[in-house]
Amino acid sequence: MNEQPVPSIIEAIRQTVAERLQELDGVVGLRRSSEGVAPHVFQQGDDLSELEIVPRYPLTTVVSRLHKSFPEIRLGIVARGCDERAFVEMAKRNQIDPDRLFILGIACTAEEAEECHCAAPFPKHLVVGKPVAPGSPNPVVAEYDNTPLAKRNAFWRRQFAKCIKCYGCRNICPECFCEDCAMEDPAWVEPGLLAPPFPVFHLIRAMHMASRCVACRQCDLTCPAHIPLTVLYDLMRRDMEATLGYIPGEDIKAPPPLSVTLNEAPLLVNTGHMD
Amino acid sequence: MAVEEFEPRIVAFMCNWCTYAGADNAGVARLESPANILPIRVMCSGRISPELVLRTFREGADGVLVMGCHLGDCHYSSGNHRTIKRIPLLKSLLGFAGINPERLQLEWVSAAEGPRFTQVTKAFVERVRTLGPLSEEVAA
Amino acid sequence: MMDAGRHPNITLMTYSEVEEVSGYIGQFKVKVRQRPRYVDMDLCTGCGACVEACVFKKGVPNEFDEGLSRRKGVYIPMNGQGVPMKAVIDEDACLFLHRGKCVKKCMDACPTNAIDFDQKERLVDLEVGSIVVATGFDKFDAARLSAYSWGKSPNIIDGLQFERLSSATGPTKGEILTAEGNKPSRVAIIHCVGSRDENANRYCSRVCCMYALKHAHLVRDKTGAEVFEFYMDIRAFGKGYEEFYERVQEEGVYFVRGRGAEIVVLENGKLQIKAEDTTLGIPVAIDVDMAILATAMEPQTDADHVAALFGLSRSADGFFQEAHPKLRPFHTNTDGVFLAGTCQSPKDVPDTVAHANAAAAEALVILDRGEVLISPTTAMVVEERCVGCGDCVLVCPYSAISLLNSKAHLNSALCKGCGTCVATCPSGAIEALHFTDQQIVAEIEGVLAWQ
Repeated sequence: MNEQPVPSIIEAIRQTVAERLQELDGVVGLRRSSEGVAPHVFQQGDDLSELEIVPRYPLTTVVSRLHKSFPEIRLGIVARGCDERAFVEMAKRNQIDPDRLFILGIACTAEEAEECHCAAPFPKHLVVGKPVAPGSPNPVVAEYDNTPLAKRNAFWRRQFAKCIKCYGCRNICPECFCEDCAMEDPAWVEPGLLAPPFPVFHLIRAMHMASRCVACRQCDLTCPAHIPLTVLYDLMRRDMEATLGYIPGEDIKAPPPLSVTLNEAPLLVNTGHMD
Repeated sequence: MAVEEFEPRIVAFMCNWCTYAGADNAGVARLESPANILPIRVMCSGRISPELVLRTFREGADGVLVMGCHLGDCHYSSGNHRTIKRIPLLKSLLGFAGINPERLQLEWVSAAEGPRFTQVTKAFVERVRTLGPLSEEVAA
Repeated sequence: MMDAGRHPNITLMTYSEVEEVSGYIGQFKVKVRQRPRYVDMDLCTGCGACVEACVFKKGVPNEFDEGLSRRKGVYIPMNGQGVPMKAVIDEDACLFLHRGKCVKKCMDACPTNAIDFDQKERLVDLEVGSIVVATGFDKFDAARLSAYSWGKSPNIIDGLQFERLSSATGPTKGEILTAEGNKPSRVAIIHCVGSRDENANRYCSRVCCMYALKHAHLVRDKTGAEVFEFYMDIRAFGKGYEEFYERVQEEGVYFVRGRGAEIVVLENGKLQIKAEDTTLGIPVAIDVDMAILATAMEPQTDADHVAALFGLSRSADGFFQEAHPKLRPFHTNTDGVFLAGTCQSPKDVPDTVAHANAAAAEALVILDRGEVLISPTTAMVVEERCVGCGDCVLVCPYSAISLLNSKAHLNSALCKGCGTCVATCPSGAIEALHFTDQQIVAEIEGVLAWQ
């Protein structure tokens, strides 16, 4: 994940950014400086040899803040498949303006696709790179239906026991935009209590992510305790697709299914309450 | 704790217009409902957020019933459309996280369905009784 | 009706339909489509010369006489007694409008030049504070129950058709005659046609027993014919009703306690009514000259559309749903919209008058008071927490929430307090007053104190 990409890809991206900067107010990307790699808004005249595409970092929050603070600004963004899907979901929630965002899409490498178990390792607005095949599915997720409840219970008890409530998963998530987070609300999550007996902390996040998670894996990568959060979220995504036919980030016109009526987003599966 | 001694504590969220009236209907008809059912009235089953359900389990409920109007009968026309999407999703999530999803149940009970209210609550209490206390499934 | 037509504060908009309703109590905006009458209402005097002159002699079935007579393309509604008493041209019947071929004698005959074939429909925008829905009922179509042989004999009629026969302004000037023009010697009246029936409507239509008794009384009085009433129960629930029932019994009407099961049209044209006489415990078959079916009142066929227009719910029987069956039978769950009369449930004249009077009074209270009391259990936006995601806007069944300057804005006159928005908001930026999360959590903690 952290090895340098093939030089021609990075050169192609820098070239594209240079061209697009002629018509855009800025391009959001990652910049390498003496202090490390960090988000940056490249503008005309910047040294584009400093533009990097690894390590992966979700730039949706940057775009969101820029769009809100500067209602006229037109931005480009260097984006992978998951970034583009994140933008679609954020656009549905009025956090970014899709008319003022131009996606300079890059394809992930085969190694990156495999690491992420990614089903769609390239954006629809692909500019640089060739689409690779999807990564193989996560074996834990694939085998989950055959895993008995007691085993699942033991697995997650052990995993959640490691959680130190650093909020890294929430902070890094490209879909999280709330100023007041339910995970910090003392009504739901008691302050000062680690490894709560009932994992409200984690389950609230999973429910909020159900119609939004684009499987970017940033939460997994960020968690200092290496809790495999995306196993849970992958299962939720599978459920959303099976019951409501919804894949986050797939269709900007599809309304958030949990918020609309059954006429607008019907249940595809009979849960036994259709009367 | 022996299974026979275990009395499950079930919090039942009831919508004001249908289920709560249905429970009243059962009472007026002198039908017996189990005392394990701890009712909480809300205006619409759509009011029940996943956070409320999770908090209820956190407080120690062995089972949670979310009850509202049948589809098409919602007093607020489509509140229960959200309930029918949310609660089964939360059930799945509990199952993924290793907590028995049968501890959470969605049921529609209308204002005239007193007998159905008693039948549904009795059945749920017995089911949760066989599942055992929640404390045995989550860290103490 | 005439008083309503003359009152200076009442504007009658005839031939009009509501197209769209928006807004809320005290501030409704209603769009009305008014179809053209092709008659200038200011010039027409209701003299009827156009009707006389109209060449379309064959005409079309007269809906006011329940199809028992015919009318021309131009007519004065309600057999000349409508309010307003002015002519109207039916564009589906008028030879000129329908086929483009007519010498338009009506125009020549009209002394005030009131006929105007160039009239166009118009859209009218109204701003009103309250709305009363009084859209009435429809008749049960007896053809749906084949056992009654509806349509197979002109002497099988329904309750409303009998009303027209008996009316002095009807097709027979009030004489009770068979289709052949003779006085009947035997008449059957069958109760519960289309009501109290799993194959039609389960409900009791309330008014039929009393009108059936009245019809029996009229037949006896006007023709002296034998009358057989086939009934399941006699519902004589109102003031003077039981006394009237006793009187009809004393007039010699035969009451057969058994649902009229079948009508067979015999070769000689007579009608054979088959039933079980449950008091005697034997099946009976009685031949009559005329059968009157006491058909049920039903909701109108466009009730779905009207309900959607005004935000009304429908009860299980299909009529518009009242806010509470006992305590608020003329309110709806939409504040400012009231129900009057049979659109809410079958009822007779005294009940309808009481119901409609009540609806009118409530409608006036809103206008008089100038302010509206709303339930305190509405939602409330906590603006500092809102990030403008708009999920609440999608969720609200009453469109009470909109986004203003990227923040949720709630119209508490529209909010009904269901709380669905509260459960949907990921930031907890909406609260349900009197059903806040804190309050519910306190209840959860409280009930779980039980061991």
